[in-house]
Amino acid sequence: MLLARLRAGDQAAFRTLVRARHGRLLRLASAFCRNRASAEEVVQDTWLAVITGLHGYSGEAPLAAWINGILVNKAKTRAVRDGRMVAFSDLARAETAGDTFEPERFLADGHWAERFSPWDALTPEREAGDRQLLAGVAEALERLPPAQRAVVLLRDVEGLDSAAICQALEISEANLRVLLHRARVKLRDAADRLVRPR
Amino acid sequence: MLTCHDVAEQATDYMEGATGRGRRMAVWAHLRLCPNCREYLRQLRHGVGLARRALAEAPPPAEVEDALAALFAARRPGPAE
Ligand SMILES: [Zn+2]
Repeated sequence: MLLARLRAGDQAAFRTLVRARHGRLLRLASAFCRNRASAEEVVQDTWLAVITGLHGYSGEAPLAAWINGILVNKAKTRAVRDGRMVAFSDLARAETAGDTFEPERFLADGHWAERFSPWDALTPEREAGDRQLLAGVAEALERLPPAQRAVVLLRDVEGLDSAAICQALEISEANLRVLLHRARVKLRDAADRLVRPR
Repeated sequence: MLTCHDVAEQATDYMEGATGRGRRMAVWAHLRLCPNCREYLRQLRHGVGLARRALAEAPPPAEVEDALAALFAARRPGPAE
């Protein structure tokens, strides 16, 4: 078992854990930190806490969830210390104001003003191998307002459950869903532009 | 009868199973009759898949892994008990 091997100081087990989790931790951290350098520091601090905390960890929560929890705490503490923590509840308020869709996307009777044609150009091969397309999608994610970006990273990319996200970001379930919806609408629009042959 | 606009606004709630039964049925009924909304929801879902793929897992650089492994070796308390 991984935990027992880690506690016994097994190097290979630790390397396996790092390979599996490091990228994900960096991504989680980047939901809280605006720049890469501070996200990397938060991840570094998290690994340190994991190493020193292994013996005290009860094993009750799954290992990944325990590590994620440490990371969220570190990220929040650091953001507060750096004085650049805008509360997500404030961001959420700003980012859920106004309309999700521009009014001109619908006709007066509520029908779509546009017709969606299937993404036939998006073959599975292209989806797996078109670096330009995937880089474009990653860029669209970067351009999202911070709270929308955070929820889409935590929910859609990392698959955390809603309750955990609401707790970490200190927002309501209703806010979470509006933020998620707006983020997904923008991602679809961005993908639509990228998928179509120019 | 819900409009396309109503369905578009509720698409995420619907996909997340966060709508009440009445709402859910109404969205479902609209989708049955409206290929354009069906395609829109399909693309919303597909966009999520693309985002996941765009950020697919990359293992950390070797030097990062080595540095962390060294920390692990140095910090771990010796054979306790
Ligand atoms: Zn419709």
